[in-house]
Amino acid sequence: MKQGIIENLIAELTKLPGIGRRTAQRLAFFILAMPDEEAKGISRAIDEVKNNARFCRECFNITEDEVCSICSNPSRDRSRICVVEEPSNIFVVERSKSFDGVYHVLLGSLSPIDGMTPDRLKIHELIERVRKNSVQEVILATNPNTKGEMTAQYVRELLKPFFVKVTRIAYGLPIGGDIEFADEATLSKAIQGRRDF
Amino acid sequence: MLKRTEGIVIRTVPYGEADLIVTYLTPDFGILKVFAKSPRKFKSRFGGSLEPLTQSKISFWGREDAPLPRLTQSDILNSFQPLREEFSSFLKLSEILELILSFLPERDANKMAYALLLNTLHTIKEKQNDTLLMTSFKIKFLHLVGFAPRLDSCGRCGKHGYSFYLAQGSIMCEGCAQRIDSPVKISPAAVQFYSDLLTWDIMKVNRIRPSGALLEEISNLITMHIRYILSKPLKTESFSLKQSHHKIQS
Repeated sequence: MKQGIIENLIAELTKLPGIGRRTAQRLAFFILAMPDEEAKGISRAIDEVKNNARFCRECFNITEDEVCSICSNPSRDRSRICVVEEPSNIFVVERSKSFDGVYHVLLGSLSPIDGMTPDRLKIHELIERVRKNSVQEVILATNPNTKGEMTAQYVRELLKPFFVKVTRIAYGLPIGGDIEFADEATLSKAIQGRRDF
Repeated sequence: MLKRTEGIVIRTVPYGEADLIVTYLTPDFGILKVFAKSPRKFKSRFGGSLEPLTQSKISFWGREDAPLPRLTQSDILNSFQPLREEFSSFLKLSEILELILSFLPERDANKMAYALLLNTLHTIKEKQNDTLLMTSFKIKFLHLVGFAPRLDSCGRCGKHGYSFYLAQGSIMCEGCAQRIDSPVKISPAAVQFYSDLLTWDIMKVNRIRPSGALLEEISNLITMHIRYILSKPLKTESFSLKQSHHKIQS
């Protein structure tokens, strides 16, 4: 066996996030020891994703069809749109099982210093969705950081003429954390956003 | 080797799954880039201390010549949170941050630039930002880094004049300006105001009330001067333009 093939696989695996050289080496030898069909299954799955994945026509989620499974699901509440930055955010919100509406992916966040301008995001498409459909509420679930906050504020301003309810996900402390280690910005937001109990 | 300093976060760039490359302006190292491990995770010990404009005490670890030392600690001194909460104020401050990144070299100590930024942030915190404060910052900053336009006299012979030449970065008298094209005409009041802004304390600059026309004249001149030096407009400037265009379209 040529040494180069394994070295090549290790080098390719280290390109994945969170995979260092040692983990890549372990994975490479695990793949080598796997039954042929299972190993080829991984390869096929990657191939299929790269060949068939595209953006949903309506919400810009990743899908293999014209419209994603969430947008085409008749049981979803289409009057509520949850706005997120990346398709990966949809998976997280879905895992929480706390939202039964539809999504809109902006494909990024505004950042003046990095040249991320509104025309590079799917903001215009969101406004069009609100304009054309009977949307009752838009939930802005962009990241709770400066870029996400700026994006949320910008979208809120654009939605004002439509008299649609615009909400922002809550700020605060993560469950399981200790208040002693919270930074002042997070804690101040958590106190401001307190609710009756 | 472990080093400690304080710094103001200028910019953060996502790296890998949950890491960040954080650019600070520090008094001891000037522009300093550090690698922060996993600050984007909710339970990160860095919390909100790596958000732009935050002033913190930081520790970082790395060889003397390491291009990207590792951030080990960051304790907030001033979060300047209210400045990040308003879209328009953060947009204007982004221009300042971009200016700092464009003109200051990495690892070149600059206590004056650090103090200027810190004082500006404190002033804005007390009174909401305005064009006067931003223009004052730009003028003082350009002066600190050696790129301030010369408006007091002709750049060649020292005579008085009121025609500013972008290519020379200076006023030129009629005699010296022969065969140089398209000057920007400036008023004697603007020349005086520029010289005053250079000397006035930025923390007290909000006390004065210049006329809108005078402020606009100086502000436009500084914007043109910066654009000429960088050979392109600042990204934040383009952002403002595209933003207005996008709003109209929507």
